[in-house]
Amino acid sequence: MRKLFLLLLLTVCCQAAFAQQSNRITIRGSITDTSKAIMPGATVMLLTPKDSALVNFGRTNDKGAFEFRNVKRAPYILKVSYVGFLPLQVEVNPDNSEVTDLGALPIKPIQKELLEVVIKAAKAPLSIRGDTIEYNAASFKVPPGSTVEELLRKLPGMQVDQEGNIKAQGENVTKVTVDGKTFFGSDPKLATKNLPADAISKVQVFNDKTEAAKTTGIDDGKREKAVNLELKESHRKGGFGKVTAGVGTKDRFQLRGNYNRFNTKEQMSVIGLGNNINQTGLSFDDYQDFRGSQSFNWEDQGDFGFYSGGVYFFGGDDGIGVPITGGGSNSRGFSRNYAGGANYNYDTKKTKLSSNYFYNQSGLTLNSDLEKETFLPNSSFLNTDHKSQGSLTRNHRGSARFEQKIDSLNTLVIIGNLRANNGNTALFSDQNFFEGPNQETRTSQTNFANYNQFNGFQLATTAIYRHTFRKKGRNFAASLAYNVNDTDGSAQQRSTNTYFNDTTATGPSVFRINQDNVTSSLRTEIKSSLDYTEPLSKTTFWETFYNFSLRNDKVDRDVFNVGDQGSVRNETLSRYYTNDFTYNRIGSLIRYSDKGFNVSGGLAGMWFHQAGQFASNQGSPNFTKVDRNYFSVVPNISVNYNKKNKRFNAGYNVNVNQPQTSDLQPVVDNSNPRFIREGNPNLLPSLTHRVSGGFGVFNPGSFVNVFVNVNYGYNINQIVYNQTVNELLVTTTRPENISGGTSKGGSVYFSFPIKKTKAVLNTNFYTNLNKFPTFINGIPNQTNNNNYNAYMSLDLTPSEKFTFYPTFNFSITDTKYSVNTAQNLTIYNYNYGGNMNVQLPKGIFFNGRMSYQIYKNPKFDFRQELPILNLAVYKLFLKDNKAEVRLTAYDVFNKNRGITQQAYQNYVQTERVQTLARYFMLSFSYNLRGLKSQMRQNNYIY
Amino acid sequence: MIMKKLLILLLVTIGAPSMAQKMEGVVTYDRTQDYVKIMSRMTFLSLDQKERMKATNKNYSSRPTQMVLYFNEDQSLYTNESEYWRSENGQWSYRNSDYIIRRDFKQETKSDVIEMLGRTYLIDDSLKTPQWKILNQLKDIAGHICMKAETEDPIKQQKVVAWFAQDIPVSAGPEQYFGLPGLILELDLNDGDAVITASKIEMRDVSKELTATKKIKGKKIKTADYDKLIKDHIQTSTKAQENPYWTIRY
Repeated sequence: MRKLFLLLLLTVCCQAAFAQQSNRITIRGSITDTSKAIMPGATVMLLTPKDSALVNFGRTNDKGAFEFRNVKRAPYILKVSYVGFLPLQVEVNPDNSEVTDLGALPIKPIQKELLEVVIKAAKAPLSIRGDTIEYNAASFKVPPGSTVEELLRKLPGMQVDQEGNIKAQGENVTKVTVDGKTFFGSDPKLATKNLPADAISKVQVFNDKTEAAKTTGIDDGKREKAVNLELKESHRKGGFGKVTAGVGTKDRFQLRGNYNRFNTKEQMSVIGLGNNINQTGLSFDDYQDFRGSQSFNWEDQGDFGFYSGGVYFFGGDDGIGVPITGGGSNSRGFSRNYAGGANYNYDTKKTKLSSNYFYNQSGLTLNSDLEKETFLPNSSFLNTDHKSQGSLTRNHRGSARFEQKIDSLNTLVIIGNLRANNGNTALFSDQNFFEGPNQETRTSQTNFANYNQFNGFQLATTAIYRHTFRKKGRNFAASLAYNVNDTDGSAQQRSTNTYFNDTTATGPSVFRINQDNVTSSLRTEIKSSLDYTEPLSKTTFWETFYNFSLRNDKVDRDVFNVGDQGSVRNETLSRYYTNDFTYNRIGSLIRYSDKGFNVSGGLAGMWFHQAGQFASNQGSPNFTKVDRNYFSVVPNISVNYNKKNKRFNAGYNVNVNQPQTSDLQPVVDNSNPRFIREGNPNLLPSLTHRVSGGFGVFNPGSFVNVFVNVNYGYNINQIVYNQTVNELLVTTTRPENISGGTSKGGSVYFSFPIKKTKAVLNTNFYTNLNKFPTFINGIPNQTNNNNYNAYMSLDLTPSEKFTFYPTFNFSITDTKYSVNTAQNLTIYNYNYGGNMNVQLPKGIFFNGRMSYQIYKNPKFDFRQELPILNLAVYKLFLKDNKAEVRLTAYDVFNKNRGITQQAYQNYVQTERVQTLARYFMLSFSYNLRGLKSQMRQNNYIY
Repeated sequence: MIMKKLLILLLVTIGAPSMAQKMEGVVTYDRTQDYVKIMSRMTFLSLDQKERMKATNKNYSSRPTQMVLYFNEDQSLYTNESEYWRSENGQWSYRNSDYIIRRDFKQETKSDVIEMLGRTYLIDDSLKTPQWKILNQLKDIAGHICMKAETEDPIKQQKVVAWFAQDIPVSAGPEQYFGLPGLILELDLNDGDAVITASKIEMRDVSKELTATKKIKGKKIKTADYDKLIKDHIQTSTKAQENPYWTIRY
């Protein structure tokens, strides 16, 4: 009872308060078409006038009526939409009454051709703004070079007559504006006849008030048809570039610069660099700026089927493509480098073309000291080698790549690369050999001076055709390649070898070499591959491939002894030989892929035939013939499994490695008279059976990563360099096939954030255990080389202004020689490093890099410590940080010595190379796209 | 609120709609993501890096993934078309992250299964309709003339453009978007960073698909927790100079 009373009271009060005006109203109306027929099922939306926000919506009932009840009293926009009709907008301004009745609202149909041509066929969004209809010009294709007039002819509802007069929806267009402004006077034809069609992004057609109405300000109700042309915001056209120049102490300098121009289809770039701070080639960034859209083309490999140990060059100065060296400094010797090139790309959906020319030259001065101990059965000897080398190489590279999508099923790629190079080298060497219980007696000395020069030409061409069948998963590919390598070289070899123990009446025996040689070698190769994949089911595929190659080697080497009588041909060292290699491989594999399981397994049979002949010269009556056939079955299995944040992989394969050409040549290389290399024309390809497995866990929530990998390899016909050391300590090596070598490896990587976004710890442990057989003086030797590494780093990024990345690296190499167990040894390398970045006020940044290296070999009491500290201060300035000035102190303590320690096969050696040590450099950079401080060291892979 | 009003409106004003056709069916969407554009939004990359990335990747485009939306007038379910992603030639596959978005417009509830950041989250909560703006553009998508609407995602700070069909009066839509006078047939996040376009629309009985339940274990959270997770992750990743969208859905 009380409640009821309360309610009653409340109602009365409220009604009293809002008697004049309730704040809730009803809006109603009905929708008809232009012939007054009712329109049931039309969408009716209530929007706010301010920002068109959707307040409410509904649909008309079967009588074409709609009603919004209980809506706030406020002005609205009522919007009506119905398929095939122009959306209608009506302003709703409620009066004081409870109900705002809008009455019957007629909606106009969209002109049929607009609907069909613009919306349906061209798939172009059609904008309607009140009276304005907007066409998206890009959706209407006109030939390049067309004027706007031709574009307008294409637009539905528009007509352009012979004289260029324009009609829109049957009415004369009296005004054409460009971006809302009148274009050079009032003649509408001026704009349409002169503007290029491809500069236009939108065409708007609307009814404008007459000029008279505009000037008088009195709306006479008349409307004129007007067209507005909206210009493209940007044609996506531009240019960018950067330049860096620096000068330093000790005559150090660096210069590099590149400039690019591009539009939607084309890209043109030039690059150049010069320095004497050991930067020999392009960094990855420079390379990407240079090659642009054609930096990486992943499907250019024409050798189909499973991987069998083919070498794929990417980068490096030895390759045929544009050399990438990572931009870092080479720590061997001193080099003076110049490079430059130009690149042009043309890309459309169907055709992609890229061509470039690149030149580089590098002059190198290298002084090194080597200390090497060689172990023989029951003895050993030590030798030192002081070397000075000067060399200059020049490379001209040209390349072109053409890719054509013939249609949706067929693609053709043609690649051509060529390189012409030449160079010369002068090498001086002073070697001393020591023997005795403590290697204290010098028993011989060798001095030599060699001059070489060469001229080479290489060509590599590949054509790849790919066909996709209509049946999903059925593919065919074919490739054809032709490669040439033509090199001519000549050398002068002068050496003096003194053997102190081998005395004659006139003192120690001295043996001199005075030889000149001329070598010309030509290699041609034709390769072809076929590949066919057939889907057996949605998840299973059967791939079959065939590879063929025919290689022809021809080498003519003439060696002359230079003496008092002039040059006399040396018949034992001169060689003429030819070799024909035929290689065939056919294989098949089954691939299964479902539910995160990706498994493949297959077998290939490879057959290889070598037909060679060699003699001391072309006209020789007795050629030694080599005729070999080799057949092998090669399996390949791979398993890959992906589960939530986990992945697992395992594989078994056999790598087949062809012997290097230099190893196969029946040539004796005596350029170092104390270390003679012989080729072996009887070498067989080496096979490595490899089993590998890995496991990875990644938690994207906690950023914890763990990766574990193991692998095992067993070598058959491994190519090793057997050694024979004679009593004068002249070593002769010859490559031979040996089976039984193994390699085992394992790694664990673990990374987790100690404090999210501030500190991340990365640890990595890896080990390589190698068993390496060789023959030393005919006695089998097995070297066990066990290498253990631990790496730890911390990424400290406490703020935007300070970052620090300490690292620690520790490596032990334990080497055991079965031929001479007394020589077993362990070498240690430690490296403590750090990289620190500090942002100082006024756009100034500081970078410090420290590397403290310790080399230890307890057996020889060897210990060397190298603290290398690099410091840089730089300031970014100008708008968008386009400019940078930088002061670098390289190797502050002047300690850089280029040390390497190695223990292999039957030797241990330590080498020190004179290289870039302390210098200071002041450099200036300017980048049109702006420069960035390098506060973080994470490298983004895009 | 709007939904409730709409329903009242529908029930009160229209009564029984004369168009007897039952509005239910399944839409297949192609979802493409432009990684270069997304990476270009990372504030920690310099213009130089962004432009280099753009130039290098000019000729590459990522392949669409297929999504499906089952809908009727009251409910919708949006998820991966297949549990496993498969490469174009069919020779490589991996598991798609769970993404099941259920909407009940009548009850105004949602029930989502979203796998992200290494976990599966179950989000059961009430529905909150995005604030849409209706614009004046028409476009044809899969044979339906659609109208343009716009809103924005305040958490991911994305501009969202939806194209809704004039002739399918259903409030459903792809991803987590809904609440327009017609079925959303295209969704464009941040001017093409991710585009979800209907490729096929089939009107049929989908009550089986809408009612089917698959037991999925996960952590139960509310919409507010989900928003906070996303917000924190974007903040943390940006601070760590990583792209947050490697581990969450764009």
